[in-house]
Amino acid sequence: MPDKVRAVIADDEPLLRAQLRTRLERLWPELAIVHEMANGRDVEQVLEAHSPELFFLDIHMPGVNGLEAARTIGSRAHVVFVTAFDQYAVEAFERGAIDYVLKPFNEERLATTVGRLRERLSAAPPAFDALVEQLAERLGGAKPAEHLRWIKASVGPQVRLIPVEEVLYFQSDEKYTRVVTCEGEALIRKPIRELLEELDPARFWQIHRATIVNVDRIAGVRRGLKDQAELSLRDHPKTLVVSRAFTHLFKQM
Amino acid sequence: MSRFAYLFEGLTVRRVLAVTVICVAAAGATRWFFTNTIFELLLIALCIGYTSTLFFTIATNLRLGMRREVRQVLAIVLGSFLGTILAGLARGFNISHMLTERLWGASMTMGLGIGIGCVVLAAAIIRERQARDEARLHRAEAERQQLEKSVLEAKLQLMQAQVEPHFLFNTLANVQHLVETDPPAASRMLDSLIRYLRAALPQMRENSTTLRREIEMSRAFLEIQRVRMGSRLEYAIEVPPQMLDLPFPPMMLLSLVENAIKHGADPCCECVAVTLRASQADGRLTVSVADTGQGIVPKKAGGVGLANIRERLKTLHGQAARLVLEENQPRGVIASIEVPMPDAALHAPPLVRAA
Repeated sequence: MPDKVRAVIADDEPLLRAQLRTRLERLWPELAIVHEMANGRDVEQVLEAHSPELFFLDIHMPGVNGLEAARTIGSRAHVVFVTAFDQYAVEAFERGAIDYVLKPFNEERLATTVGRLRERLSAAPPAFDALVEQLAERLGGAKPAEHLRWIKASVGPQVRLIPVEEVLYFQSDEKYTRVVTCEGEALIRKPIRELLEELDPARFWQIHRATIVNVDRIAGVRRGLKDQAELSLRDHPKTLVVSRAFTHLFKQM
Repeated sequence: MSRFAYLFEGLTVRRVLAVTVICVAAAGATRWFFTNTIFELLLIALCIGYTSTLFFTIATNLRLGMRREVRQVLAIVLGSFLGTILAGLARGFNISHMLTERLWGASMTMGLGIGIGCVVLAAAIIRERQARDEARLHRAEAERQQLEKSVLEAKLQLMQAQVEPHFLFNTLANVQHLVETDPPAASRMLDSLIRYLRAALPQMRENSTTLRREIEMSRAFLEIQRVRMGSRLEYAIEVPPQMLDLPFPPMMLLSLVENAIKHGADPCCECVAVTLRASQADGRLTVSVADTGQGIVPKKAGGVGLANIRERLKTLHGQAARLVLEENQPRGVIASIEVPMPDAALHAPPLVRAA
């Protein structure tokens, strides 16, 4: 027993964990699956508790995914990635000589991987931080959130979720900010000033001390009273006042 | 000065040239009537013409309560009056002289100025109306084309494969395992997959199917996900049987269910419940997908499929249909589609809620 290779399987789908375990046990009797996990969250504890030499990591897992888990593991253990369909990842693995298996599993392919792993395990785990880093960036989809994409607004007892693209304009109304869409309006507590900081400035322009407009929804601009301008909106009868400080936005348009 | 610059907007070289031409023509045309020389007439005509044009331009741009046409006529009257006096002054008469001895001549001149001015104004208004009508027609045409385009896009979107390879391969891997360990379960899973694929693979689809078909497709998808996710997913379908044969637009419900899994259940490590419900009230059918997953992350995009559903609902039903997203309590999202019911369905017997 102490001679056995200690391995951990991480996959969020229980049947697929069971399947990999069964197949590995058949192909590699000297392997002991010491732990199974549904995501990469507890990698640190698992390393400590079981000191595994080998991880099978599914790339797509909720919470902490396989690439993030691999980053945590570093060169403390060998890593084999498991994936169903990631053209880009597979190419990167091939280039970087990183072990991977594809789901659904192919018996022969898995046997080849096992053969290679047996040889490699005697050496120190290779460092492929850079590649994992690059992959995590490409696949993780965990790009830092930049702008507000959803507005949560109270409509009666419900909290309505409004994608910002649907908003025609925001207008401050004493204590609240009115969110106006084609289908009606809702109130939020976030003041215009804070909205301005969070919204995409390319899509949302302030046109008045109290108004932010969705540029995509502007139908036309015309001169208004004094030095102001008036905006008409697509699919909405209301016209918005552009105060003097903001009329420069519409010059030469 | 620049503060008042807007008042002179429209006072273009073209307008001044046009007025000059009209004045020359007017001077020529009234030559037989007056005893003056042609140069005197031209001077008078130009004085009236230019003064009227100046006032006309200001009156057009001035924002007062009264109608624009009224302002313009008043400007022509005032312009003609001042223009006549100006012309008189230019010829060396004094004002009192003009208003007494030469009153007849001055009035005639002024009257002609007003008459010609009003004719020109009327012509301009008619031309402007025509241009506006044309622009309106043009805009309507553009809108129609835009609508046609979005209908076409929606159709194309429908025809495209909606099956993600990731989903397909993972499901097959599950089936592969079940074949060895639990053949009846494998068979059930394959059955669900086939039902899902039949509906989700590209093919020409009608604009409307029944709620039954959409529910069955969603059920197949949810069943696959329940097997895959094990204890992390539960689902329930609470749709009264008599609503199943109501028409419902295709591929929208499945999109909402897929969203509930992808954005609600997938990123969430605890057990998530997905519930499909249907209800009818006031001639509207509402079908909702509620999940108890992670909920909306304010700064994360997730609305591409939703924008597509909105667009398609608008194409099919205009303002009568809508997609509403709400927060679920204590967690997750409720997405509901409301569509108008066909008239026949309005007279359906009262509902009994099915278990």
